[in-house]
Amino acid sequence: MINKVIIIFCLVSSVVFSQIKVVTTTTVIYDLVKNIGGDQVEVEFLSRGDQDVHFLEVLPSYMMKLRSADIFFQIGLQLEMWAPQLVDGSRNSSLIIVYLSDVITPKEVPTTKVDASQGDVHPQGNPHYWLDPDNAKKIATKIYEELSNHSPGFDSYFKKNLENYLSKINKKINEWEGKMLQLKQKNIICFHSSWIYFTDRFGLDISGYVEPKPGIPPTPSHNAEIIRIIQQKKIKLILTDVFYSESAPKQIANATGVKVLKLPTQVYGLENIKSYIEMMDYIVNQITSNG
Amino acid sequence: MQRLILSFQLLVGFSFSFAQTSINPDISAIGTFNTFTNFIKDTPEYGKLNFDIPEFELFVDGYLNPYARATFNVAFHEGEFHAEEIYAQVVRGLPLDVQIKAGKYLLGFGKINTVHPHAWSFIYRPLYHQIYFGDEGLNDIGADLSFILPTGDVYTALELGIFKGDALTNEHHHEDGHDSEEEEGHYEMDRGNSPIFVGRLGSFISLGDFSNIEIGLSGSYGVHSKTDFYSSDDSTARPSNSSLNYFYGGLDFKYKYRPDSYTSFAVQGEALWNRRNVLRKDDFGLDVQENINTFGAFIYLDYQFNKIFSVGSKYDFTYGIIGDEPNFNTLASDDQNMTSGIEGWLGYYPFEETLALRLGVQYLMFNYADGSERDGETTINLQLIFSLGPHKAHPF
Repeated sequence: MINKVIIIFCLVSSVVFSQIKVVTTTTVIYDLVKNIGGDQVEVEFLSRGDQDVHFLEVLPSYMMKLRSADIFFQIGLQLEMWAPQLVDGSRNSSLIIVYLSDVITPKEVPTTKVDASQGDVHPQGNPHYWLDPDNAKKIATKIYEELSNHSPGFDSYFKKNLENYLSKINKKINEWEGKMLQLKQKNIICFHSSWIYFTDRFGLDISGYVEPKPGIPPTPSHNAEIIRIIQQKKIKLILTDVFYSESAPKQIANATGVKVLKLPTQVYGLENIKSYIEMMDYIVNQITSNG
Repeated sequence: MQRLILSFQLLVGFSFSFAQTSINPDISAIGTFNTFTNFIKDTPEYGKLNFDIPEFELFVDGYLNPYARATFNVAFHEGEFHAEEIYAQVVRGLPLDVQIKAGKYLLGFGKINTVHPHAWSFIYRPLYHQIYFGDEGLNDIGADLSFILPTGDVYTALELGIFKGDALTNEHHHEDGHDSEEEEGHYEMDRGNSPIFVGRLGSFISLGDFSNIEIGLSGSYGVHSKTDFYSSDDSTARPSNSSLNYFYGGLDFKYKYRPDSYTSFAVQGEALWNRRNVLRKDDFGLDVQENINTFGAFIYLDYQFNKIFSVGSKYDFTYGIIGDEPNFNTLASDDQNMTSGIEGWLGYYPFEETLALRLGVQYLMFNYADGSERDGETTINLQLIFSLGPHKAHPF
């Protein structure tokens, strides 16, 4: 009898007290999962904040992380082309894979046939949607739903965390909108097509990209074209992700006096950026103080 | 065991039932075009610009169902089409998380052998591969099981396979189609239906955010020849039938330091020990069976110093003479002669995975046990690699 009680207690406690093991492809998702899951979730990320998520090496250590995971959150829209190899390598047949792009409306979805002559175009749309904080709220809500589905016993705990987080981010959105108001309709140049969700959200206009086409390295003739646009439209800023080469933006800056801002697009993209809110704070502050 | 067979049957059956509902697989093609100049005395190409026939590999790859994948790889090489790889792989759902791979494919002996040449950092196949595996690498028909061992956070995989053994004989067919003629110093070669066994134990260790190392031990065992031979000078005596066995032992490692997206430094090396039964004539002209022990190894460094350039160097060594047709019965005097080589390259990768240009130089040196002199050979190669279609991320 005592043995039975012990076994039942062990089974119940393993269900009730075991953490949900979550792996995320990016550090932004990691931060959101931490906020919603709290201490009921054990979460790890694959791509560091200073890495280009497009190109991650297929490392067996990532497979080991996925091997024991319950849920694997991905950005989706074919950003993580390397992920299926990791999932296969993990041999985890009970792994739940969640594409967070399912809950957002993608931008720049091609309407014609896509081929490599257009550069690295994502056929399902631009995947950098987390740079719109309204999309971050949708991601957080989706994370809550998935965690709750997995462990319904903690639904109220996850829901409370979600509400707290949404309240926090809503306040921040008001603050960011207020700061960005001064730059509405201002033209900027971006290095890569990572910024469309951010600029659309806060009313900036992208006049051109340092990359001639997505993922294609800058060329002298294209740099000359960007210099012409900057001079013509009196543009003050080039935005670039922290992991891209500074070489071409600096050449353009030398010719025009434009300011190059290397900005984190992931949590831990810079040493002092430890959360999504800190990242967005940094981006907004840098742009407003230099724009 | 019955559970394992039942699970496999269920999965394969599942794959057929879903075949018609599957979406299109990934299709990609990779072309390679080599131009070269060599400085090998008394050859018609000496000092001239030569163009190889362009080569390509066509990959068709995709999921059969939630548990299994299949890959087809047809290659056009030296003017001929051939099936380089055709295999199915159950990747999940089996007991003990075993993966099963079956078909024709590059065997997991060492690390480089499973990587297609277009994905190597260097241009020239390692010398010991050419002697012991042939020009196409160790590629065979069969099946293997792969297990992940319980070694905590360290990824340790054990692969065990059984194969037909074609990999050992592919390179020894004579051009007229007779591979069993007895020639001077050669013996009739017939492996029969003797399978070979191949295995690898490999561990991957993460040394931090920026560097990783993988270490592997490989082994392969089997019959490389069955042959009749006369061990007495009585011409009426029945010839002895002997199975000549081999054992390949391998050690491989790879270290890579990658502090950011544009910089990486890799060191990779492999070594092979070959222990093999051979037949030789003794002083009285009688056949005697001996064991020989030979070796081969390479090590290379590759430094990617910005997004689009890399530079590297490889040192190679093997028993045997590159370019000679190996004779696995006797290995002639290949347990005494040696080839070594140095290769250097500059890689230019302007558009990620879609285009690569590599300039390479290889210098080969030959060492004959009988004191024969042979000049070193230099080859300069300009290689263009281009890729169409989706391209998988390269594994570590």
